[in-house]
Amino acid sequence: MVVKDFPDLMRWLFGDSTRTGAFLILLLLILASSLFGLFFGFLVASFRHGPAEAFYTVAKVVAGAIPDWIHISYRRIFAIAGLAIKEAIRRRVILVAFLIFALSLLFGGWFIGGGEHPDRVYINFVMWGTQLLILMLVMLISAFSLPDDIRNKTIYTVSTKPVRISEIVLGRIVGFAILGTGLLAVMGIISLLFVWRGLSHTHQIAVNDGGQVEFQPVDRLATGHRASDNAISGTTTLFDSGHRHYVEVVEDVRGIDDPPPADTESILSQETRGDKIVYQRLQVMHASGHSHNVAVTGKGEAAVYDFSDAKGFFRARKPKYAEMLVFFDRQGEPKREGMSTGDEWTYLGFIDGGITLSRAEYLFNNFSADDFSSTDVLPLELKLGVYRSHKGDINTRIRAGLQIESFTGENETALPRRFRSEVMEFETEEDIIQVKGIPRKIPGQIYGPEGELIESGIYDLFDDFAPNGRLKLTVRCMDQSQYLGMARASVYFRLTDRPYWLNFARGYIGIWMQMMIVICLGVSLSTFLSSPVTMLGTVCAIIFGFFSESIKKLTVPEVSGGGPVESFYRLVTQKNQEEALSRSLSVDAMEQIDKLFISMVGAVTRIVPDFSRLDFSDFLTYGYFVDNDRLAVAFLISFAFCTGLTLMGYFCLKTRELAG
Amino acid sequence: MTEKSTQKIPSDKLIQTNPDYNPDVIVETQNLSKIYRDFWGRQKVRALKALDLEVRKGEIFGLLGPNGSGKSTTIKLLLGLLFPTSGRALVFGKDATETTKNERIGYLPEESYLYKFLTAEETMDFYGRLFDMPADVRRQRSDELIRKVGLHWARRRQLKEYSKGMVRRIGLAQALINDPDLVLLDEPTSGLDPLGTREMKDMILELKAQNKTVIMCSHLLADVQDVCDRIAILYQGDLKELGAVNDLLQVSGETSVRARKLPDSAHKEIAEVIARHGGEVLSIENPRTTLEELFLNIVRESEERPGRRAAAAAGEGGTESGR
Repeated sequence: MVVKDFPDLMRWLFGDSTRTGAFLILLLLILASSLFGLFFGFLVASFRHGPAEAFYTVAKVVAGAIPDWIHISYRRIFAIAGLAIKEAIRRRVILVAFLIFALSLLFGGWFIGGGEHPDRVYINFVMWGTQLLILMLVMLISAFSLPDDIRNKTIYTVSTKPVRISEIVLGRIVGFAILGTGLLAVMGIISLLFVWRGLSHTHQIAVNDGGQVEFQPVDRLATGHRASDNAISGTTTLFDSGHRHYVEVVEDVRGIDDPPPADTESILSQETRGDKIVYQRLQVMHASGHSHNVAVTGKGEAAVYDFSDAKGFFRARKPKYAEMLVFFDRQGEPKREGMSTGDEWTYLGFIDGGITLSRAEYLFNNFSADDFSSTDVLPLELKLGVYRSHKGDINTRIRAGLQIESFTGENETALPRRFRSEVMEFETEEDIIQVKGIPRKIPGQIYGPEGELIESGIYDLFDDFAPNGRLKLTVRCMDQSQYLGMARASVYFRLTDRPYWLNFARGYIGIWMQMMIVICLGVSLSTFLSSPVTMLGTVCAIIFGFFSESIKKLTVPEVSGGGPVESFYRLVTQKNQEEALSRSLSVDAMEQIDKLFISMVGAVTRIVPDFSRLDFSDFLTYGYFVDNDRLAVAFLISFAFCTGLTLMGYFCLKTRELAG
Repeated sequence: MTEKSTQKIPSDKLIQTNPDYNPDVIVETQNLSKIYRDFWGRQKVRALKALDLEVRKGEIFGLLGPNGSGKSTTIKLLLGLLFPTSGRALVFGKDATETTKNERIGYLPEESYLYKFLTAEETMDFYGRLFDMPADVRRQRSDELIRKVGLHWARRRQLKEYSKGMVRRIGLAQALINDPDLVLLDEPTSGLDPLGTREMKDMILELKAQNKTVIMCSHLLADVQDVCDRIAILYQGDLKELGAVNDLLQVSGETSVRARKLPDSAHKEIAEVIARHGGEVLSIENPRTTLEELFLNIVRESEERPGRRAAAAAGEGGTESGR
């Protein structure tokens, strides 16, 4: 999963030395749009009535807006909202939407499932399905409602009552919002049940021709999968739901006085060897992103193996990301970004392997024991990229090292004693999330202020390493000529998981926020445009909103091949993107048109809401918790857009004749 | 009507701020003009030209004119559905574009533009809410008005199942939900059968009896003549005539005498008397009833005595009503 922004609400809102706060940007935007609105209104009114009358008209509209918003009546707003809801229900719009949703789940269920990560496919399917359906639905009803009212002249009987324009606009928005929220909630609950039902399964253990369970020694398992270190034999389950699991028999050696393993149901046998007890128990290996518990009843040939429902699908991992990631090159010089291994993937920065000073330092802030449910061993999760610079066995893992250190921030008093841990080596490969347990007590050294070694020993991660709440985690690549890639989100401590339903609800709140923007946009545009044009405008805004990042890339000046006109010219004349065009008046004209077009597209991408910031489907798909700050930022963005669009709709409707 | 249902919505919005406001003048237009333009601002139609009008409290005022004369435009300008190109329209002393004036207005548009997916009850409730009426007042008022317009039996049916006449009736009911002081009726009798037309006219007269002001526009001259106190005749946006109906319709220089039980022999004698006084006899004959009157009599009689009506009796009935 690609995580590029790590919003901190206060910093996002009020900014810091490196970036301007959203609040200030909003104030400037309000000022600019107000001035533009006044100027535009004045221009149109001048065109109609002349400049002197125009001034009076604009002033009247602005002055009239204040009571229109102060004296709004909630009874009227809810009356109009109720009407909008009844209309959508009685015209069977909701029924049709719901039927499409039900059918897509019904038939979708046939095609999804199985594969490497069925949970991701399921979640992605329901999230995208719901998102698409809800956005299409609200776009349709909001684009058609007001223009229909004006065309059918039913607006006459409404606007000749003491109804303010603000109430007409707000009433519709509230109505569609209630409708959409209800529908979204129902879809969410059904989706959750669908995912849960779809992923729920169990297995039976594989038997040989004689109908017996046959455990084979580990080295005879032609699996390609790595066995646990303490595995002695294993078998598989039967193929079900598109996968099978490997079931290992592992030996668990414990002292006589130690408690037995937690999952006693999986114990096959126990045997006393000297002062130790050796437990042989079954362990179901992960496959397709999940595992099962297994309970054994009976002994030997009469043993019955009972597999539980799938576990591990529904996670809401809460990562503790580093505040900053700093790369160091071979010479040990700090860099903002890591090495690039090609244009195709710029998300990860790479570090050199072997004996160089190249490394990546993750700087954690507010590192506290309170955030972890158990502090004996802290789960550190890593998803690193691997770039191999020479041919070799693709299955061979790359060796990497982790080191933990104390550190102090800029302008802070240096700690009198700095702790540095031993290097913890591990192996890694592409596209897997590795969980590495970092024990709370780790071996390391203490250094004085001048870097002199004071002592070695075992020290506490929180009390010794991070007494100031700061911790530095250094990642190195140990293999010569190989590269490890990472981004800020690639390495994190996994805090206590959050409830899955809560995360699921947050994912749907993301869709809800997108829905609200589409409703406000639809209603606002429909105050002065016809339904088809409103729909077109809304669709364009959604497309721009979802793909704004890709579209923005087209608007950077250095993009090769020029804009649409130049690209078309190159296509027709069969000139490649890099070939310089011979200078002429027509080429200059072409470039100027492209520049204008590109700047317009660039401006549009800045105006339309960035829907990707409101889309949490990736978080649900990959099992990450949508944190409060991210949600709050998304909410504020949505709120600002909705408010702006509502005001725009109000002024447009206020200044138009309803009986045109 | 109960005290509760007639209560006006207390609102500071109704406070009058116009120092020149005369409470007896309900509607006033000054040099009111409207030009319809196209998207580019080019003039399409000059719908209303410098209209000066004054409608006083308690009168029934009729706007007359052929299609495209500017009647509906005037009504829409008074309601704030259109903005004047020049001049101004004042309703209750307030600018017509002000929303608060609508507290005291009832409007029946030309084709009862109502939401067809609502039932009569829901329609009344919806419009009641728009007046910010509390639920119990809404319920009582809506019940009363639905009965009054004779739709009690169809109150739970969606309007899409209604006939045109029924929609007109519920349209009138919604226009009266707020017990308005000024009622604007755009072609109130259009789409109604003669019985409905008569009921509508009776209701308009009833409104007048309650000291309400009514402005109606119609091109059905008989309807206007029956109910209006004053009329304005518009033609192509110009005001051509304005005055009391009785004054405008009086034919000077002619005299009509109506008598009952006069034998045919008396006709000659009367003609002689007229000639003696230098007058000219235009006609002496039995007056005719109107077709509306005849139709209504038949319907009333049929309601009282259901079953097939004999042709002779029908002829007799016609003669009777003509007497």
